[in-house]
Amino acid sequence: MKRIFFLTVFWLLVTDTKTIAQNEGAPLSFSGYVRNYTGLLTESPNDFSIIQNTLNLNIEHHTETVGMKVNPYLHHYFDRDLELGLREAYLDLYFKNFDLRIGKQQIIWGKAEGVFITDVVSPKDLREFLLPDFDEIRTGITAVKANYYLGNNTLEAVWSPVFTPTQMPESGSVWSPEMEFSLPPVFDYSRAVTKASLENSELFLRFSAMGSKMDYEIVGGTFFYDDPAMRISPIVDPVSMQPTGLLVAPEYHRVAMAGGSMSLPLNAVVLRAEGAFYSGRNFHTSKPGVSGSLVEKENLHYMAGMDYTLFGVKLSAQFIQEFILEYEQGIQNEEFETTMTFLAKKDFLREKLWVELFGYVGLNTSDALVRPKLSYSFADGFDIQAGANLFLGNKGRFGQYDKNDMVYLKFKYSF
Amino acid sequence: MKKSHFAAFVVLAGLISLAQPVWSQMNGKQIMEAVYTRPSGSDLQGDLAMTLTNKQGDERVRQLRQFITDNGSIEKTLMFFLSPADVRNTSFMSWSYADGKDDDQWIYLPALKRTKRISSDSKGDYFMGSDFTYDDLGDRHPDEDNHTLLREEKLGNYDCFVVESTTKQPGYMYSKTITWVNKDNFIGLKREFYDEAKMPLKTLYIHKFEKINGFWTILETEMVNTQKNHRTKMVFSNVKINQGIPDNKFTERSMTLGQ
Repeated sequence: MKRIFFLTVFWLLVTDTKTIAQNEGAPLSFSGYVRNYTGLLTESPNDFSIIQNTLNLNIEHHTETVGMKVNPYLHHYFDRDLELGLREAYLDLYFKNFDLRIGKQQIIWGKAEGVFITDVVSPKDLREFLLPDFDEIRTGITAVKANYYLGNNTLEAVWSPVFTPTQMPESGSVWSPEMEFSLPPVFDYSRAVTKASLENSELFLRFSAMGSKMDYEIVGGTFFYDDPAMRISPIVDPVSMQPTGLLVAPEYHRVAMAGGSMSLPLNAVVLRAEGAFYSGRNFHTSKPGVSGSLVEKENLHYMAGMDYTLFGVKLSAQFIQEFILEYEQGIQNEEFETTMTFLAKKDFLREKLWVELFGYVGLNTSDALVRPKLSYSFADGFDIQAGANLFLGNKGRFGQYDKNDMVYLKFKYSF
Repeated sequence: MKKSHFAAFVVLAGLISLAQPVWSQMNGKQIMEAVYTRPSGSDLQGDLAMTLTNKQGDERVRQLRQFITDNGSIEKTLMFFLSPADVRNTSFMSWSYADGKDDDQWIYLPALKRTKRISSDSKGDYFMGSDFTYDDLGDRHPDEDNHTLLREEKLGNYDCFVVESTTKQPGYMYSKTITWVNKDNFIGLKREFYDEAKMPLKTLYIHKFEKINGFWTILETEMVNTQKNHRTKMVFSNVKINQGIPDNKFTERSMTLGQ
């Protein structure tokens, strides 16, 4: 009994000390949102493509010298298991001209919007294609990030001991990318695991400058490409010696990347550009005799864009192209793959109502994703969104989802 | 003797003229230059609560923390949005140049985790849905307008100049403004804004000002849009002046860290 009393008093003392210590510095802050997201396919029989309830919580604490953030999230679905995840969980150390961030974190690079050119540090969650908000598409990686500041210039180094790949849609999902095989495929995921080791760790470097004339970034890195390459081998019947199927083994390859981006104001226009050179990417080929049907090629990925405001409408356009160097016939990707994006956005009722139209257009396959959206701030922090995701065309990156046209409603309360 | 009388008169006249307030011979332009050059310290920090009230009387509140430094050639402003919750941790930075060069402006959006450069060619846009445009919040250089002293009159307890300013810039959103300038400290206590059709558009009132650290500082102001029947009240608190905010406060590092 005495022991219980002693422990209780000790616990109260410790708890009280913690409260005092916390009150002396900045308080622990809680923020986040609760959201309901319901999507309905427009094609008969009008299945619900998603009914999702989300709790997203940010727990943060910062002082002059240290900080921390934990960002857990909970997704509840009607047709799937409850999903509990950790988008970020890191510790910060602040010095005079130097910061250190350790733990799971989202790291965003580049000037392009809606496309990933030099923005390659945080992998993507593509389980619902490119439809989620961008803070949800990028997943956190476990890394040590060091930033050294010189005025408005920053030198950033990121070391990640663990490779985190892009999250692809589950088998059977309406968002599974279209794959055509000449024979029935058998998937082998044994090569898709990259062992956590020093040898397999990833390194990224960035120098960024922000100034009165322009902003720019110079980036580089050696890392595993986040999207898998499919190694395809025939399965041969030992009796007939005839191929009866295909063994498809997703695998990840180390690449080297160097690139940069810039943002330049010219009167009412802001010009943006971004480009990257990749070495070591693997592309699928149908050329006979190529082991695993994979061929390694260097490639370029670049973007030129502009932002402009006309009669209060924020307009933005981007031209994006991927180019495979020393291209060979048989490679599944085209030598040049060109995409454009368009955005028009305007607010009404003193920023209570936002009307937005965003679109991707694939120029090679004449397909598109058009995303009109209406967002109304019913009360401070309470937002209602109504929108549509319309896939045009019948092949290509966007056209392959032609049957997935959907309308949706989102109710979101931020706190 | 006559000579000495004349000399005495000249000295006396000189003394009388020195004894008159400096502003007794000021014209409209000089008054507005005095408003523009009124000492306000080399840096300022404080919290701002902005209350938007629509014609039904519904209120929306926005809270910000802001830091301003001015070295004479560049004025740098950094704002952290504190509420409502959906804009919390957003930050905005602006560098304004005394030589008239276009402002540089950036916004940090926490959801995108990216600092984005934005065009400064939107000074006529309303700030956060309020009745203040970005231009209203900045210091408009007196050379951009023609100024006429209309009269001198009392506004409440304060002796004021009433100055009309008409824009030199074709297509500017205000055809003219009329400002009541406090003779004692050159604070503009009231300003009427007229739209491009020369109709009354909105009126700015200064409700409270105080001397902080030796500088006259506006602490409470309200803009009333008479055409839209909408008003915005701004209340400044925790104001500190000349605390020596370091230049590295106005960087991407501060914007992203939110402190």
